[in-house]
Amino acid sequence: MNRASDLEIRAAFLAIADVLIPEADGAPSASGAEAGATFERILTLRPDLQEAFRRGVQAVAHKEPAAAARALNVEDPEALAAIGLVAAAAYYMNPRVRELIGYPGQEKRAFDPTATPEYVANGMLQAVVDRGPIYRATPK
Amino acid sequence: MAADRGSKVADVLIVGAGASGLVAAKHLTENGFNVVCLEQGQRVDSSEFWGDKPEFELMTQKRWHPNPNVRDLESDYPIDTSESDVPILMYSAVGGSTILYGAHWQRLMPSDFRARTLDGVAEDWPFAYEDLEPFYDEMDVEVGVSGLGGDPAYPPGKAPPLPPLPIGRIGMKAAEGMNKLGWHWWPGPNSINSLPYRGRNPCGLLATCRNGCTEGAKASFDLTHLPAALQHGLRLVTGARVREIAVNEQGLASGAIYVDRNGRERRQLARVVIVCCNGVGTPRLLLASKSAKFPEGLANSSGLVGKNLMLHPYVTVVGHFDEPLESWLGPNGQSIQSMQFYETDARRGFARGAKWHVLPSGGPLGAPPTPGLAFDEQWGLAFHRNREKTFGRSFEWGIMVDDLPDEANRVVLHPTLTDSDGVPAPKIIYNYSENTRRLAAFHLERAKEAMYASGAVALTVRPLMVDRSQHNTGASLMATGHLMGTCRMGGDPKTSVVNQWGQAHDVPNLFVYDGSVFVTSSGFNPAGTICAVALRSVKHLIAERRNQKVAA
Repeated sequence: MNRASDLEIRAAFLAIADVLIPEADGAPSASGAEAGATFERILTLRPDLQEAFRRGVQAVAHKEPAAAARALNVEDPEALAAIGLVAAAAYYMNPRVRELIGYPGQEKRAFDPTATPEYVANGMLQAVVDRGPIYRATPK
Repeated sequence: MAADRGSKVADVLIVGAGASGLVAAKHLTENGFNVVCLEQGQRVDSSEFWGDKPEFELMTQKRWHPNPNVRDLESDYPIDTSESDVPILMYSAVGGSTILYGAHWQRLMPSDFRARTLDGVAEDWPFAYEDLEPFYDEMDVEVGVSGLGGDPAYPPGKAPPLPPLPIGRIGMKAAEGMNKLGWHWWPGPNSINSLPYRGRNPCGLLATCRNGCTEGAKASFDLTHLPAALQHGLRLVTGARVREIAVNEQGLASGAIYVDRNGRERRQLARVVIVCCNGVGTPRLLLASKSAKFPEGLANSSGLVGKNLMLHPYVTVVGHFDEPLESWLGPNGQSIQSMQFYETDARRGFARGAKWHVLPSGGPLGAPPTPGLAFDEQWGLAFHRNREKTFGRSFEWGIMVDDLPDEANRVVLHPTLTDSDGVPAPKIIYNYSENTRRLAAFHLERAKEAMYASGAVALTVRPLMVDRSQHNTGASLMATGHLMGTCRMGGDPKTSVVNQWGQAHDVPNLFVYDGSVFVTSSGFNPAGTICAVALRSVKHLIAERRNQKVAA
């Protein structure tokens, strides 16, 4: 694929991605979250998405994005879903978006398993014990 | 056919290096047996997992997806689920499905072993809870279970060896609701170590358990049992796709014929054969092992190989709260559990019950977009609104339905579909029962009450769903990967495939140790019971070694 078509694909993708993920309430749009810098890597990691993604992007290229996105959702829903997944994945991998929504990623969190759990210390679990056994014993 | 590898006759050949196979391998090798294990998959290194990287959620939807039809790796065999209400989940590798399991380490309750006697449904197991209890205790130590003793859902017994994992804000929120209603809950036992244990790191609460643990904390059996087995001489052959259990003129199992990764057909001879390929793979292999002596497949004089498939139908209620709950944190794994409605109450109009568990709701990407869903429900402003409603402030009550055995639910060999080595693929025929539908509906209503008692401001309810697509990746993926019942155990060769020790009624040196042997499914995640039953069986085999009939 030559460079010109790469640029066209990128432009068409970002146009649709901004319809799917618009700027709203202080949250950036897909292009504002630098989806244009990430989508090729996502397609490399997920080659299974490439065919539907490219089919969808080619179908909407040079069309009015909002109408084209809605039409694609009806005419080729798998293609729009592939574009949407690439856009959403790029969006939530973006550090600025993660900071904005308070998501640090699946990071390690230290804890002390030897400390008395809160539900033991405050009597919550004892209430369960006090209600008594709930199993049926093995019949003799 | 290529020359036999090493041309040695193994004392024991194990087919499948998942949980039950590696329990057997560890104990047999430690007791001096010469053991060969054939595994179709490869070894997995934790550095291959994506849980500690930004791309985590993206990669769980394909490379590390639990549906083999979605992963479509060479080590996976295709499964025809066009006549199954739910997809089949599993993982083919050393460690088997424990690579991706949630590590809820459960025991069945005493009534599970006596469903016929107590409730008039299914069949009784050939042993009781008390017979299995010491093996549960031993397995808890072998895998390193974290939990809290004293759960009133069980008879008094030993506490897990490690303290419980944190239940998090989601567990506290759920527990508050259960206490308001006066309902049972308890910190969930997990085979995930809360402290450093036998060379494994402690849990880091990443919540990536079901897509591969990057910390090496989760008890996948390539970590817990394989090292000891290798140390004691296990010969593990990976990439070995077994197409047939061979039998000799006496009708005894004599080994296995398999295809290696060079495409060569090989034969491994053995005195005893143990099949541990899971509740789909084991009947597939036995049905494919046809011969003049066994024209309907090996060990199948009862006609029950492949039948009574049980899959644990699964429904959920997700509660959304107006406060932050950090609901992307682990374990995942389970936070708390409830057996409030586990036991049969005839007034409800169905038999048996379900275990509930609280799970975190994960990261913001979640499931992939649903093709064809109305545009304004998932895109545009809805994209942001949906995330604001759910992300970080919701959790799930998952409900695991006790799936009663039914011969009509079964695994059969596909007439044309094969794996990449030409071995027939399995076809699944499975329908929800009326008992399941009633049970699920009742439990969903109770779980809604629990969520509202906890303060949920909105709910997302996922009832029983039927999805017969072959590549189910997303919203309707309501399956558990619990594959049970297809070579069930019992005392009568007419109504069971193996006896209480996993020994085939028809072939005295052929054993089955995986979830195929389950008589009932229970409402519990089965890994703990699969392993306890396998441990009980292999210890009996070791004790009876001098009396065991073997192929010459």
